[in-house]
Amino acid sequence: MRDNIVITSAGIVSALGIGYKSNAEALKNGLSGLRQPQFLNTLHQDLLIGEVCLSNEDLADKLSISSTTVSYTRTGLLAMLAIEELLASLDIAALRKEKLAFINANTVGGMCSVEDMYLHFIADETQGDFVRYIDTLDCAASTKDVTTHFGLNPFTATISTACSSASNALIVGARMITQGLVDKAICGGCDALSRFTVNGFLSLKNVDREACKPFDEHRNGLNLGEGAAFLMLEKEADAIKRGTTILARFSGYNNTNDAYHPTAPSPDGAGALRAMTGALKKANLTTEAIGYINAHGTATINNDAAEGRAIEKLFGANVPFSSTKPFTGHTLAAAGAVEAIFSIMALNGNCIFPNLNYSTPMQELNIAPVTSLMTHQNIQHVLSNSFGFGGNNVSLIFSKA
Amino acid sequence: MMTPVYILSASAISPQNTFDGDGIYETLITSDNLKLFVKEPDYRSYINPVAIRRMSRLIKRGISCGMKALSDAGIKTPDAIITGTGLGSMTDTERFLKDMIALREEALNPTFFIQSTYNSVNGWISLQTQSTGYNQTYVNRGLSTEMSLLDAQLFLQETSEAATVLVGTFDEMTDDYFVVKNKIDYWKKESIPSNEILKHNDTPGTIGGEGAAFFVLANRATKAIAILKGIKMLQQPTSEIIAQEAIQLLQEHGVTWDEIDVVIMGNSGDSRFESLYSNALDCLSANTSLLAFKHLTGEYPTATSFAIWLSIQLFNNQRIPKNTLLQQGTATHYRNILILNHYPLNTASVLLLQEPA
Repeated sequence: MRDNIVITSAGIVSALGIGYKSNAEALKNGLSGLRQPQFLNTLHQDLLIGEVCLSNEDLADKLSISSTTVSYTRTGLLAMLAIEELLASLDIAALRKEKLAFINANTVGGMCSVEDMYLHFIADETQGDFVRYIDTLDCAASTKDVTTHFGLNPFTATISTACSSASNALIVGARMITQGLVDKAICGGCDALSRFTVNGFLSLKNVDREACKPFDEHRNGLNLGEGAAFLMLEKEADAIKRGTTILARFSGYNNTNDAYHPTAPSPDGAGALRAMTGALKKANLTTEAIGYINAHGTATINNDAAEGRAIEKLFGANVPFSSTKPFTGHTLAAAGAVEAIFSIMALNGNCIFPNLNYSTPMQELNIAPVTSLMTHQNIQHVLSNSFGFGGNNVSLIFSKA
Repeated sequence: MMTPVYILSASAISPQNTFDGDGIYETLITSDNLKLFVKEPDYRSYINPVAIRRMSRLIKRGISCGMKALSDAGIKTPDAIITGTGLGSMTDTERFLKDMIALREEALNPTFFIQSTYNSVNGWISLQTQSTGYNQTYVNRGLSTEMSLLDAQLFLQETSEAATVLVGTFDEMTDDYFVVKNKIDYWKKESIPSNEILKHNDTPGTIGGEGAAFFVLANRATKAIAILKGIKMLQQPTSEIIAQEAIQLLQEHGVTWDEIDVVIMGNSGDSRFESLYSNALDCLSANTSLLAFKHLTGEYPTATSFAIWLSIQLFNNQRIPKNTLLQQGTATHYRNILILNHYPLNTASVLLLQEPA
């Protein structure tokens, strides 16, 4: 179809590693990236988190940035490293002349840096290293970091809808292309671990101190993670004309609101059901067409009950599903794009990644996640869920090109 | 080019009497400490009484402003809700952050964390209106208002059926925020009364401000109070770029400079940005009246939304509030309004609004 939106390039950084290949390898080998903090300066040193295995200095080195002269936060550095991979296969000079959008997503901006300097921010002192970080607290700081570092001048927007942020970035990019505002859109999200976020989720009492167990009867909360992931969206006709590789078709999406509670999903899964049903409708697909569901599956009591019920109601026991959160932790604003890339890996590798740490079926469900790697599957379409605070629910569908 | 969309209602909570009270035609509220805080209305009629007790000021302000816009448009449940904010709830962010440091990461109150989430106002309005449709939040610095409006246009254009979108913006200033941004010269160093800030345009800095504004947008003209013709969002703006984009915007919509009855400018008395508007202003004829508004609101990332609200007052009343007037033009009927605004982090925008036929 002339107006199909396709994905032609991707870049990813997560606890599983730097780049598409190392993330795919870890998923296939069932190697989780969760560990105790090595860089996050928290007092909760016993927590398992999905930390990216490079210090800020190493991240800056990889990007050939002198970390002493610029005010890039870890959030910005993670985003830049993912974008570097995405751009590697592209002609950047040509890209600078195109109608390009960069739709980024983020939850707490440069909080990872600001939280260590905040007392200086609000004290009387006016000189010091902290001054160059003063404009880094908001979500759009990393958006600016990326465009500055790569010398791009795209249309930019930054989304913040909690855990569904990056999924929303993909939707907005697709719509801007469809309606002719831009020809290409780099969409995704980034979040660095911060004490602010870790303590926020701890205060909500939905963090598991051990490795999370999505869709398990004895699940006890989520593990937080960090990362960045971005995808290049463009029209299928343009990609074919360029003769570039098409990773997947972005065939369906839906954003709806639960309208139930500020932080909890509707227990019957009505919101999740609405999101998935809408995405199928947009993609013009029936439930039978879906070969794999990459679930939101945070392993919180509420999410997995609601999402599990919705999956069972819509798909019965017919569609394999798993949550990849035990691999990466919950990367929040990046999660939608991280898992979009995992979905594309599943699609192109004809495989289904395991839902780690599952042992006991949930009482309220008659379905169970996939627990070991399944290969040689015939997967034509993958559905990926991301559900956030404020009742923001998004489902995306990726299809074989 | 985007298809124009129709504005059915507008509400604003600002440092002036814009929400309840006598509007901005009579009274001018001023300050002399370089900060303009909003005049907090009684929020109890707009919010669930149980929930309101734990809400911070920005959350209450956002929800109430949104509920009033919906009620003014006679709409219970919008088809989509799109919000934009530069800062979200600073009070909650600061509170959680300071508690976390002081209490050494123990015994923290989750309410502040939840409310610091940028889309929490949006979530609350969805809940109160049972709006299960499209739901989006932009944290896009000085272009948060503009991106929210553009997304509303995209949404409305995508559907052939009649649809409405609640678009809202909100930002708050806190004492801490003022201190922090003072270190990178956002504000004037000398004490100047807010109503005289525009005259002191020979030094850097301006006054801090805040506000919220909500609009109901539709893809049908029925009961429209204004038409949003188009938006241009600019990065690293110069006076030349702003003028070029304004020229292009007018051309796209078949409006000539002579037909511009009012220009509402975001000049703020900051010497660094004063020249941003000069090339565009050179295009104007004697027809056009020139208005400013940041001496009424102070500077904040979503200030453009106040200028849109002000435009709608002009369409409705066909009268210019005297406190906003910089230069009187010859036009006696206000049909086309051009908004030119900037934000200190290197962005600017141009918007064209029109009175409905």
